Amino acid sequence: MAARAGSLGAPPGLRLRRVYLRHEAAILGVLGLAGFTALWELAGRLGWINPVVLSSPSRVGDALLRQARSGELPRDLQVTAVEFVVGFGIAVALGVAIGVLMGLYQDVEFSLDPFIWFLYAAPLVAFYPLIIVWLGFGFWTVVAITVFLTAIPIAVNTLAGIRSVDPLLVRAVRSFGGSTADVVTKVLLPASLPLVLAGLRIGIGRALIGVILGEMFSANAGLGFRMTYYGARLRTTDVLVPMLVIVVFGVVATQLVRLLETRLARWRET
Amino acid sequence: MEQLVLDDVRLTYRRPLDDSEFLALDAVSLAVAEGEFVAIVGPSGCGKSTLLLLINGLLHPTSGRILLNGRPVAAPGPDRALVFQEFALLPWRTVLHNVELGLEVIRKPAAARRELARENLRRVGLSAFERYYPHQLSGGMRQRVGIARALAVGPEVLLMDEPFGALDAQTRQIMGAELLRIWERDRKTILFVTHDIDESIYLADRVVVMSANPGRVLEVLPITLPRPRDFEARNSPAFVEYRRRIWERLEQEVRKSLAWQFSEVAGE
Amino acid sequence: MSSDAVGPAAAGIQAPARPASARLALALRRHRRGLLGTASVVVFLLVWQLVGSHSAVSADLISYPTQVLATAAQMTASGELGGAALVSLQEFVYGFVPAVVLGIALGLAMGRFRRVRYLLDPLIMAFYTAPRIALIPLLVIWFGVGMESKVAVVFLGAVFPVLVNTVAGVEQIDPLWVRAVRSFGAGEWQVVTKVVMPGALPAVMAGVRLGLGRAIIGVIVGEMYVAVAGVGRLVQVYSGAGRAAELVVLVVVTAAFGFVSITALRLIEERIAPWRRELEV
Repeated sequence: MAARAGSLGAPPGLRLRRVYLRHEAAILGVLGLAGFTALWELAGRLGWINPVVLSSPSRVGDALLRQARSGELPRDLQVTAVEFVVGFGIAVALGVAIGVLMGLYQDVEFSLDPFIWFLYAAPLVAFYPLIIVWLGFGFWTVVAITVFLTAIPIAVNTLAGIRSVDPLLVRAVRSFGGSTADVVTKVLLPASLPLVLAGLRIGIGRALIGVILGEMFSANAGLGFRMTYYGARLRTTDVLVPMLVIVVFGVVATQLVRLLETRLARWRET
Repeated sequence: MEQLVLDDVRLTYRRPLDDSEFLALDAVSLAVAEGEFVAIVGPSGCGKSTLLLLINGLLHPTSGRILLNGRPVAAPGPDRALVFQEFALLPWRTVLHNVELGLEVIRKPAAARRELARENLRRVGLSAFERYYPHQLSGGMRQRVGIARALAVGPEVLLMDEPFGALDAQTRQIMGAELLRIWERDRKTILFVTHDIDESIYLADRVVVMSANPGRVLEVLPITLPRPRDFEARNSPAFVEYRRRIWERLEQEVRKSLAWQFSEVAGE
Repeated sequence: MSSDAVGPAAAGIQAPARPASARLALALRRHRRGLLGTASVVVFLLVWQLVGSHSAVSADLISYPTQVLATAAQMTASGELGGAALVSLQEFVYGFVPAVVLGIALGLAMGRFRRVRYLLDPLIMAFYTAPRIALIPLLVIWFGVGMESKVAVVFLGAVFPVLVNTVAGVEQIDPLWVRAVRSFGAGEWQVVTKVVMPGALPAVMAGVRLGLGRAIIGVIVGEMYVAVAGVGRLVQVYSGAGRAAELVVLVVVTAAFGFVSITALRLIEERIAPWRRELEV
C-alpha cells in the first residue's frame, strides 16, 4: 500500500510549490521575457547604451501608439496581411497540387525531381530580381515572390506525406472500386495531413520572408516597406514598430498551425 | 566471509509534487557469497530493479548499509557492473566500441581496451559482429553485447536487471543456457533480477522471493539442482516442486501489487 | 511501360513487359528516375533556348542558355564575378562559423540546464520565427554599411536554427544511455563527451544545415539592401538595368553555392551519423 501524506490538508506553502512545478516552464518563460524587457528599458534610461541607437520599450510603445492612431500602422498591416494571405493561399494550392501529382504519378515525380531538388536547396531570394524584371514593382511582384518561396517546401512536404501513406489503405479503397479521386480524397489527403501541416508551418515563415522581402525592395506600402522607409532615415524606434508587429504575426500564425497539427494528429501515435 | 552484504536496507522516495513519502524497499537484508548465482523474483513494482541500482551505487539507501568485501558502497563503479533490460547500447558506436565503453570510463589505455573488448566479445560468441551497429542486431545479440560490456571491466559482482525481459520466450531460454555456459568459466557472483520463476530456478543457486511494494525479502530458497543444468532439468520433479513453492509464496504478492498499481493510476 | 501507379508503386498495377523488347524495357524502367529527370532538364533547356533567342524582347526578359554561358565567361574574365563572390564568401564565413560555435555551446548548456531553457525559450522562439530579413534595416543602422552589418545578418540568421536544433537534440537523448555510462562510475564530463555530444549530433547537423540556408539568404539580401559590395550589390545593379542574362548568371551562381554546400553537409552527415534519428525543427 503506497504511503501518502494527506494532500488535502497540505500547508499553503506546499500547495504553492505544487502549482509552480506544474507550470514551471510557462512561469520562467514569462519571467525571461519580462526580465529582457526590463533590462532593455533600464539600459536605455541609465545610459548604458545610446537610446537613439537601441531605443527602449517605452519609446517603442509610444511610437506604436502614434503610428496606430495616425492610421499608418493599420494601413501597412492591411497591405501586408492581404499580400500574405493571397501569396500563402496560392502557394498552398500550388504546392499541395504539385505534391499530390508527384505523389500519385511517379513519372511526374521523376521528371520534376531535379527542379524541385534544386529549388529546395538553392536560396530562392536569388531569383527575386528576375521576378522584378518580369513583373515590375507592386502588389503582384510581392505575391509572386511569396508564392515562389513558399510553394516549394509545401510541395516537398506534401510529397513526403503522400509517400508515407500505407499502400494497404490505398488498396483497400481500390478494392471497393474506388476511383483515383476517391483515393485522393478518402485516403491520401487525410493520411498525409500531419506532414502537409508541417510543410504549411514551415511555409508560413517562408511566406513572411517573401512578403517582407518583396515590400522592402519593390513596394511603397506595407510593413516591410515601412521598415525600409524608417531605416533609411535612421529612426530605430520607428523601425521597431512594424518589425514587432511582423514578429508577433509570425509567432501567432505559427502557433495556430502548431495547434492545428496537434489537434488533427491525435490519431497518430508518433 | 560474505562478498556482498545488504544490511537492513531501506529506500524512501519523496514525491516532488506534494512532498509525500513513498517507501520502495523495507528492511532488505541479504548476504551473497563469492561465486554465487542469486536470482531475485517478485511482482512488478516490488523494487527488485531498484535493489540493483542501490548495489551499483546509482541510488543511495535512506537507511541501512551495502557492503562489498566489507567496504561500504558509495558510488557506481566497475566492480559492480550493471546489465540493463533494454540493453542500453549507444546506437552510434559499433559493437566493439560499445563493449569498450566501461573500459573507457575507468580509463584503461587504448591497446588494453581493444584486447579486453575483443576477448569478451569472443566469450559471448559475437566476434564476427565487431563492426556492426546495434540496430543491425537482434534483441538477443544486443543483450549479449551488453553482457560483454559488463564483463569486460572485470566486475566482482555482475548485476543483471531482467536482462532477458525484452526478448521473446524462446530466445529467453536459449540466452539462459548461454549465460550459464559463460558463467561456468569463472563463476562470477551474479545477482539476477527476473519476473520469470522458471528462469530463476533454472539459473540460480538461491532464489530470493520479494514481496509486493514496499519490497521485503519473504523467503530465500536454496536450489540444489545439480550443475551443469540442461533443458531437461526444467522438467524434473524437483524443478516442478521449486516452482510450486515459489509461486505459492508469490501469488498473493502479485495480486496485491496489481491492486496497488491500479489504485496508483486511479488515485493520482 | 506501366500506366500511372497510385501512391508508392507497390500498391499499383503494372502492365506486363512486352516480350519483344523486354530487356530494353527493363533497363529503361530501372533507370527511369535518372532518365526522366535528365530528359526533363534537357527539354527545359531546349525550350528556354528557343523561346529566349527568338527575339530581342524575349532575350531581354529571360535570356537563353548560350547567352547566359557567354555572359558568365565574360563576368568571370573581367574579375567582376570573382571579386564580388569573394566579398560575399568572407561575410558568410565570418558570420556562419561563430554562429555554429555559439549555437552549439549555448544549445548544450540549455539542454543540460532545464531552468535556463525555460527562461530563454520564449525569447529565442520569438527571434527564431522573426524573419531576420526584417532586422536588416536595423542592423544597418547599428553596424553601418560595411561588412559588419552583413556578418551580423548572417550570424543572426544561422545561430537560431543551430541553437534550437541542438537543444532538441539534447532533449531526445535517451536517459537510459546516461544511466548506462553512469553505472560504470562515469563523471559529468564523461557523460557529456560519451553520450550527450554524439547523441545530439544528428540534430545538430540538421540545425547547421538549416542555418546554412538562412545564412546564404542573409548575405545576399543584406548586400542587396546596402548595395555596396558583393554578389547582392551586383544583383541590385543588374536588376536596375534590367539585364536578365547577368541576373541569371548571378542566380545560378548563388543557387549553385547553396546547393553544393547543403549537399556537402548532407554527405558529411551521412558519414559521421549513419545511425541518424530523424529530427528537424
